[in-house]
Amino acid sequence: MKKQFTVICLLLLLFTIHCSLFTVAEAKVYIDITSPGAKKLPIAIFDLEGTSGKEISEIIRDDLTFTGLFIYIDKASYIESVLQSFKPINWTPLGIEAVVKGNVLEEKNLTATITLYDTFEGKEIFKKQYQAEKDLLRQLSHNIANDIYKALTGKSGIFRSKIAFVAEDNGEKSIYIMDWDGHRIKKLGLKGTLVLTPHWSPDSTKIIYSSERGRQWGIFLINFSRMTDKKIFDAKGINMAGDFFPKGDSFVFSSSKDGTPDIFTFNMDDGRVRKITSSYGIDVSPAVSPDGEYIAFVSDRGGSPQVYLMRSDGNEVRRLTFEGSYNTSPSWSPLGDRIVFSGRRGGKNHICIIKPDGSELTQLTEHGNNEDPSFSPDGRYITFSSDRDGTKGVYLMRANGEAQKEITPKGLRAFGPRWSPN
Amino acid sequence: MRRFWIFLVLIVFVSYGCQQRVATKPDGQPSGQQQDSSQAQKGSDKIPEQKVASVESKDLSTKAVQEKEGMFKDILFDFDKYDVKDIYKPVLQSVSSWMTKNGSAKLSIEGHCDERGTNEYNLALGDRRAKAVKDSLVSFGVPSSKIDMISYGEEKPLCKEQNEDCWSKNRRAHFVILEKAGK
Repeated sequence: MKKQFTVICLLLLLFTIHCSLFTVAEAKVYIDITSPGAKKLPIAIFDLEGTSGKEISEIIRDDLTFTGLFIYIDKASYIESVLQSFKPINWTPLGIEAVVKGNVLEEKNLTATITLYDTFEGKEIFKKQYQAEKDLLRQLSHNIANDIYKALTGKSGIFRSKIAFVAEDNGEKSIYIMDWDGHRIKKLGLKGTLVLTPHWSPDSTKIIYSSERGRQWGIFLINFSRMTDKKIFDAKGINMAGDFFPKGDSFVFSSSKDGTPDIFTFNMDDGRVRKITSSYGIDVSPAVSPDGEYIAFVSDRGGSPQVYLMRSDGNEVRRLTFEGSYNTSPSWSPLGDRIVFSGRRGGKNHICIIKPDGSELTQLTEHGNNEDPSFSPDGRYITFSSDRDGTKGVYLMRANGEAQKEITPKGLRAFGPRWSPN
Repeated sequence: MRRFWIFLVLIVFVSYGCQQRVATKPDGQPSGQQQDSSQAQKGSDKIPEQKVASVESKDLSTKAVQEKEGMFKDILFDFDKYDVKDIYKPVLQSVSSWMTKNGSAKLSIEGHCDERGTNEYNLALGDRRAKAVKDSLVSFGVPSSKIDMISYGEEKPLCKEQNEDCWSKNRRAHFVILEKAGK
């Protein structure tokens, strides 16, 4: 009996190993996005069959090409039609490595069936069906793009993420939310003459922001699951919300309630406020590291505004930026390996990036004033505001400065963008 | 019987171990059979969307005060500085003597900046400018409790051109007299 049991255990173990090996073998990574010199992957994307097929395919194409990881091969060069069955020989001579085919049915809902092919191995990578209400066409398309991205890179896509920002309409500022690609802009209807950069909770269900109402700067909380907006903190002087801590139950802010602007933490469970810096001058714009251990902030204690780092309890303060005489608005990358900030160079503000040890300082923008930078949830992109075309607007770029583009409509004065954590 | 159970456990275990593979296995079936492990719903992926409706809020604060501006000159600052220059002593003196004569009045000092800095830092700078002026007034004998401060940073420029002449006018501390309304 004992022997039998051992055999069975062994068998189980074998099967498990077999399965995990098989899984590893299947999860082939087509583009290693972690390697800097990775070759771009040539991909063919058919217009899906069906009325809104072209629109969906264009959204998928735009999502994938913005990443800079794919080369979209134009439809004109396809030998195979969308109706013909997939044959690797139709693609390999063109150097195309992945093909997206499918159709979309429009009944009560949209139902899209998508197949992603690997041309060199001549096989399906996945075949999936997606369903959504008709007015969620963009979200459906972004979901497809996320799945294609995940299948080819092994990493999660950011195509369903959102950006919150501040914009001005008839002299009144409000918090707005849009898709990461600048579509589906939604004004949240909060009124105030002055509103500052919103900050997302780690689960993306809440936003805190600062606003001046009735000659007082208060910190407000928008809760999306309850659809409420309420003041959670006010005091004399300026009170400006910073980042949430990773657990989502507390956040950091700056306030001049005790005289000069200092950094504080706010516990949302009991409303407890804790002071963590105390200087004669200005301490402002606190940003929490992804592990919650460190805070980057701006201080003029050295004579000019510079970015400093400290432990979350206020200890071990050290200066991070030394180049330039005006460095502000720090924000962490999701891995905590970079800090992006706005630095004054040649009379204009520019987006700069630096490692937390102070090395590898790089300037990423060249034209206009560029401010309020924040990373995408995968750390590959940065959103920021720029006035390079006259009016301030929200822009995106890759984290290396490539592919800079404005995503808010011309004429909408928009700034203070923050990418949602997921 | 015992063997049957062991066999069953084995099957369950093996299929569990292979689940990942099933999720990415090429599927020849026309539709609807496959599930994605991350969004395991029946049939196909249903795209969820949390609808963001309009968040409405009301400003409950009512204006209980009347504001009077322009009685005193603005105090101007250098770029990125918040020290009150000696040349503004006469202005501070006239503010303080007015405050002494009008015991019931309250004073609000607005701190402003030019547009060149970044938003949050400018608000902090404006706050610091307002505080520097308040501290000076207190040293002239105005009770601290009579003075409010508010920073507007770069948000309320006096002059909107992009040149030093204009910027220098915007780097200011501005005095507003607050009196109880409804008198």
